[in-house]
Amino acid sequence: MMTDTPAQPGLICLQGIGKSYQLAGQHLSILNDVCLSIDRGDSCGILGASGSGKSTLLNILGLLDLPNCGQYHFAGHDIFNASPDDLAAIRNQQIGFVFQSFNLLPRLSALDNVALPLSYRGVSRHESLEQALCMLEQVGLAERAHHRPADLSGGQRQRLAIARALVGKPSVILADEPTGNLDSTTAQEIMDLLLALNHDQQVTLIIVTHDAHIAERLERKILVRNGAVHEAGRL
Amino acid sequence: MSLRVEQSLSQLLHEALVSLRTLGKRSVLALLGIVIGSSSVVALINIGHNAAVDAAMIFKDMGTDTLVAQFPPKGNSNTPMRASLDLEAVRRSVPGIAHIGALSVFGGPIVFHGRTTNANFVGTTADIKDAMRLVVRDGRFLSSFDASETYGVIGDQVAQALSTPGDPLKLGDRIRINDYLFLVVGILHNQPRAMLMPVQANESLFIPAEGMRRIFPTPQIGNVIIRAAPGENMERIAHDAASALKSQLTDHDVDIQVPQQMIDGMTRQSRTFAYLLLALGAISLVGGGVGVMNVMLMNVSERRREIGIRMALGARQRDIRNLFLLEAVTLTAVGALCGAVLGMTAAWLYAWLSGWAFALAAGALPLGVGSTLLVGLFFGIYPAVAASRLQPVEALRDE
Repeated sequence: MMTDTPAQPGLICLQGIGKSYQLAGQHLSILNDVCLSIDRGDSCGILGASGSGKSTLLNILGLLDLPNCGQYHFAGHDIFNASPDDLAAIRNQQIGFVFQSFNLLPRLSALDNVALPLSYRGVSRHESLEQALCMLEQVGLAERAHHRPADLSGGQRQRLAIARALVGKPSVILADEPTGNLDSTTAQEIMDLLLALNHDQQVTLIIVTHDAHIAERLERKILVRNGAVHEAGRL
Repeated sequence: MSLRVEQSLSQLLHEALVSLRTLGKRSVLALLGIVIGSSSVVALINIGHNAAVDAAMIFKDMGTDTLVAQFPPKGNSNTPMRASLDLEAVRRSVPGIAHIGALSVFGGPIVFHGRTTNANFVGTTADIKDAMRLVVRDGRFLSSFDASETYGVIGDQVAQALSTPGDPLKLGDRIRINDYLFLVVGILHNQPRAMLMPVQANESLFIPAEGMRRIFPTPQIGNVIIRAAPGENMERIAHDAASALKSQLTDHDVDIQVPQQMIDGMTRQSRTFAYLLLALGAISLVGGGVGVMNVMLMNVSERRREIGIRMALGARQRDIRNLFLLEAVTLTAVGALCGAVLGMTAAWLYAWLSGWAFALAAGALPLGVGSTLLVGLFFGIYPAVAASRLQPVEALRDE
């Protein structure tokens, strides 16, 4: 999957990124002049209060939203010059998303949910189901393969979402409050799983959180405050 | 930059099946319009086909070389029509007439061995056999030497009605009409219904015209049947024969129908009917299409989040568009299939009620189902494109 290794050192490289919205005639500036570089294998926490712009930053990092200005290189691709199809391809092959509310498709079985990203790569159904089952085994949900997401517990759903994020062998996992809807024990398990992936498979991990305990376990802590980014511990 | 392949067929089919399974009751209602539209298109084509087949059947037996003359009274005159006409004079004065015969018809009961049935008594001459294309199964037809005899040639249905399994009506049997016994000298073959003929041979007993007075005091000539020689101009023969007949009549007009004109009239009529059905089909298809569009738009807005998730997972705009387009087409395909079954049933029922033979029109199913699928595609495009134009971040945002 990671065939086109970039010339740049950083996997993710943001420079002078700005994002603003026109809302009800008001100009609303969310991010100002954000510069950020994240290397392959890093584990970062993005911290900040509600409304600080951390979710917007995550959306921009995950190519779900386009910044208004600045420069953004993801794995060597210039995001500003990429077509929507290119962005979809990068999301599909390089990025795995884990959301606070799991965002599983309720109509599909666990197995089909995990296999979904592969279907957008032209992988045949048979092959994608095999890979998906393999991934479900890794997160310990193999015996739940044919259950609907609604039949699973919160922790199981998040593990299912992680399996879906991982099935495409991405270089980055973007997690938005992945433990926000889980009790502390389950949250612990999910964090262990994510960190193990970061550690064992060198998957870059970017987690948006407001939980200091989670942030403690990550190598880097990026603070977002009023649209500006500071890195704690790295001055 | 990246190796991208289209979603494989197996994946697409699986998605369509999942969506089909989860389509709600709403879509059943939307399907109603599609079903009506598709069934009326299928029925229209098939009924039109059957009508054409039936019309062709009528004229195959009657032929476009046959003319039927009627004699409406002139003005308010109530003078009865004459009992005989000089048809030989007509034949001489109009070249191109192959056969000519007059019919005077009277209805009543026939009795044979205590069994009674009603029949048309047709007083006629020998040449009517060829003019009406009658085929004799047993015996012979009337001849010019039978004028004063009590001979009869019996139609197939009448013969059947007078027969019982152990006692069939045979040649040489005598049948009774009023107080006269008639000798059966011939039994006709079953004749298909000839719509334009004034009498149906199957339901008739042909007797010599001169003998009509035995069973009916004032016989009148009702029609003259003329069959032209091959390749003649029917309009001219009709015109000439009319003037030749008119010269023999004082109180009656002559009205000759040319089959081609009637065929044209029938074609016009069935075309009007077909256009009416077509309009009905088109309107309900459009109505059904709007219903499908409505369901799909609601579907898209309900599944915004799903669209966002799919986009985050790497679906391109065209993948999302195809997903919803395929759903719309799957939906209409179900409607088209139901409509095809319903339309065929309706066409069969119509044929049955009209007494036609049911035949499947080759174009009915492909055209009906095809036009319905096109409607689904047309009305599915807007919602599908609207879905694909959503920005991932907007689609994922919580309401």
